[in-house]
Amino acid sequence: MDEKEIIKLFTYMVTSARGCVDEPKIYGPFRLIDSISKLYSILKENTLIGNEEVSKIIGKIEEKKYSCMTDEKEFVTMLDDVIDDFVALFNFNK
Amino acid sequence: MGDILKIQGTTSKNLNERNRVGKMGDSILDVMKKRRSIRKYKKENVSKDLLLQLIEAAIWAPSGSNVQPWYFIIVDDANTVEQVNAFSPGLLGGPPSVILICSDRKKAFEKAGILGRDELCVMDISMAAQNIMLLAEEIGLSTCPVKSFNKRAISKILNLPDYVSADLIISVGYSDEITSTPKRRSVIETTFFNTWGDRI
Repeated sequence: MDEKEIIKLFTYMVTSARGCVDEPKIYGPFRLIDSISKLYSILKENTLIGNEEVSKIIGKIEEKKYSCMTDEKEFVTMLDDVIDDFVALFNFNK
Repeated sequence: MGDILKIQGTTSKNLNERNRVGKMGDSILDVMKKRRSIRKYKKENVSKDLLLQLIEAAIWAPSGSNVQPWYFIIVDDANTVEQVNAFSPGLLGGPPSVILICSDRKKAFEKAGILGRDELCVMDISMAAQNIMLLAEEIGLSTCPVKSFNKRAISKILNLPDYVSADLIISVGYSDEITSTPKRRSVIETTFFNTWGDRI
């Protein structure tokens, strides 16, 4: 695994944490969800994750994550959908 | 900088003319309506000439007391873009270049006092930023204004002196996304004639 990519993710997260002190409230959820995208990308690049269902969920996140800036309702709906997907994923894995 | 514009056959005069009528016949209002904040870029680099054209547009923005407090740092070196990106959570979609708009707060204070330093500067660089984004749209580039960056880190990375404030980053590149048109509050909703509450 490229350590630099992990350091970049950490940097993104800590800079986001600092930014969220002053920034609009909705940016917090966005940075968290964007961190998932970035982490997934690193894991996939290093073939550390291959779950098809997770891949579909990430696709859903990628499609709608920027809606937080134009349509907050759509963004929150996406978050709820993704939570439902993860619930289903846990059930599936049992 | 003027020489660079002449070398490629784009003088300030015909640049101004294009701004009025638009490269594709678009009016300036059409260009304004077409501009979108882009958060996914192609890997293709933007030429230095085009980036400098954007700065040429920026320096013609109005400014309070004509202070022109701005400085522009064009970052197009891949390694430096990567560093800026790492400390700018709002900089999304892998742009090949960014423009950091800074303001000389000391100069603004000397000419226009606290108002100049704390308020006019922000307005000045915002108007310069809009000029950059509109010209970019007209010449086929895409942009996104970004305020979500760590000022402290960016100032260190780009060696800014203490009296210069890192105010706004604009990502610049070629769009790799299809955007939709965000809802707009209408003229009627946002406008009064003469006094507050007098609708059109």
